[in-house]
Amino acid sequence: MIKRKEGSLQKETQVVLQGNEACVKGALYAGCSFFAGYPITPSTEIIEMMSGEMPKTGGAFIQMEDEIASACAIIGARWGGSKAMTATSGPGYTLMQEAIGFAAVTETPTVIVNVQRGGPSTGQPTLSSQQDIYQARYGSHGDYEIIVLAPSSVQEMYDFTIRAFELAEQFRTPVILLADEVVGHMREKIMVREGCEEIRSQRQKYVVSPQADFFKGANTMVEGQLHDEEGRRIGHVAEKSGQFIHNINRKIQSNLDILSEVSTYCMEDADIAIVAYGSVARPSLNAVKHARGIRDDRMLPKVKMIKDLFKRGVGEMIHTDYSHLKVGLVKIDTVWPFPEKLLKQVTKGVDTVIVPEMNVGKYCREVQRVLKDKNVVSMPKCGGNIHTPMEILDEILKMAGLEKKKVGR
Amino acid sequence: MRINVRFAGAGGQGVILASVLLAKGYGLGENYNVVQTQSYGPEARGGACKAEVVVSDEEIDYMKVDEADVFVALNQIGYDIYAGCVKKGGIVLVNSTLVEAKDPRHYEIAATEMAESMGNPMAVNIITLGALTKLMPKVHFPTIEKEIIKKFQDPVRAANLEAYKMGYETMKHKLP
Repeated sequence: MIKRKEGSLQKETQVVLQGNEACVKGALYAGCSFFAGYPITPSTEIIEMMSGEMPKTGGAFIQMEDEIASACAIIGARWGGSKAMTATSGPGYTLMQEAIGFAAVTETPTVIVNVQRGGPSTGQPTLSSQQDIYQARYGSHGDYEIIVLAPSSVQEMYDFTIRAFELAEQFRTPVILLADEVVGHMREKIMVREGCEEIRSQRQKYVVSPQADFFKGANTMVEGQLHDEEGRRIGHVAEKSGQFIHNINRKIQSNLDILSEVSTYCMEDADIAIVAYGSVARPSLNAVKHARGIRDDRMLPKVKMIKDLFKRGVGEMIHTDYSHLKVGLVKIDTVWPFPEKLLKQVTKGVDTVIVPEMNVGKYCREVQRVLKDKNVVSMPKCGGNIHTPMEILDEILKMAGLEKKKVGR
Repeated sequence: MRINVRFAGAGGQGVILASVLLAKGYGLGENYNVVQTQSYGPEARGGACKAEVVVSDEEIDYMKVDEADVFVALNQIGYDIYAGCVKKGGIVLVNSTLVEAKDPRHYEIAATEMAESMGNPMAVNIITLGALTKLMPKVHFPTIEKEIIKKFQDPVRAANLEAYKMGYETMKHKLP
């Protein structure tokens, strides 16, 4: 699952980090110099580590009175020229919605991390969910588009945080890193880059505001009401306002080619596809391997060595009865804007699509909308536990019209 | 090769820290791929706590443990819940001061008693980790020792190194 950008000449170091810590490392690499937040499980490690790191790198850290203030503070910090981030979980994310809409309308680049836990309300502080998938897209009032990235590993927590800062500057928009408790608290071995990347905001044709950055020479006026290029209010002029809304939506919708990112596994000849995002993509991949009967032959000598230790255990684990099933995985990395075109492309030959997610089955509706000609099946799971590979395998077998045989595990 | 390790105990016993040190040992010292996960309730001390480590020489997809190859129980409740989710022939290690093992093949170390007698009651997890290092395949004494040195500062470091060594040696003498 771990995907690295090629061609990086920078020195990289190998470390074992928690997802939340990797997010901080990514933000530091991307040049984040302002962090405001209010601690909440399961995102607290981000705030805790930032409180130590920001002063060290010459940045600023503020623990705010609440999440409303945190989201507002990062908008102000960005106007002042600092790359800014905040982190929270569901309850705090709800409070941030007003400011997210404000950032969208003022075209302020900000990065907001939501390490999802179970809701509604204070819900389940220590358990995982993907229930905020729609709030991430539609949380604030009015019509706006937003970019949301969903990491599924610690490496992706690092890489996607950097990408979030890049996209925020490029598209002059708030970007949401939609993690969940599983990736936030999980520790893995990852590669982190040394130094710091300089991400510059540039005047893009598709950005509504004319200036490349705030308060840098040109006249700047930040205004929550709909406004023209000079920052003058146009809220009372219907035609101009319509154009403004069209523009801030179009800058993201018409750039799906740049924004959409999915990774595929065994999709070349697949009849059944699993479409997953975030941490659920991991058990999904394991289920696909089981269904395909994929085992790593290079490892067989080593497996024999260790077989003596765990006698029947390991041998049975790599055995599978379903090797003939043509199942593949599509992992969606940029969950919003919805990667319509790309998803249609990669699922071309597929009849059945299974969408496992840790909520009541929300994102599935989006997949159904785009893949109308296919049998799209929702596989919801609530309560805080991630899907197990065996649950997903059962669903695959059901869809393939097979009874479950004995699986040696 | 995939080794699924599960730790269970009470919040405050150092269940998660033991799993993190094991994961770092395998990941950095022995150069395997590792994933460490945990699950606990909202309370800081006393609640049920579980931590899992997956070690593999391939990329690890599923990050959690369903049936364990290796299971470590620091208290009775943890043992009772998870002792049934161990693969046949798997390794089970219990803190015998607090856990009454129901199977003679399960390894025992009196970690709480040892920790208290050495005047370092917080070292239950590190003593157990020492014993576990002796039992686990593909991991060596110095790799986890190195992680303990990195994690702590003196005088806690010295006390934990002593505890780690004691756990390791005790298990070494118990093995045939």
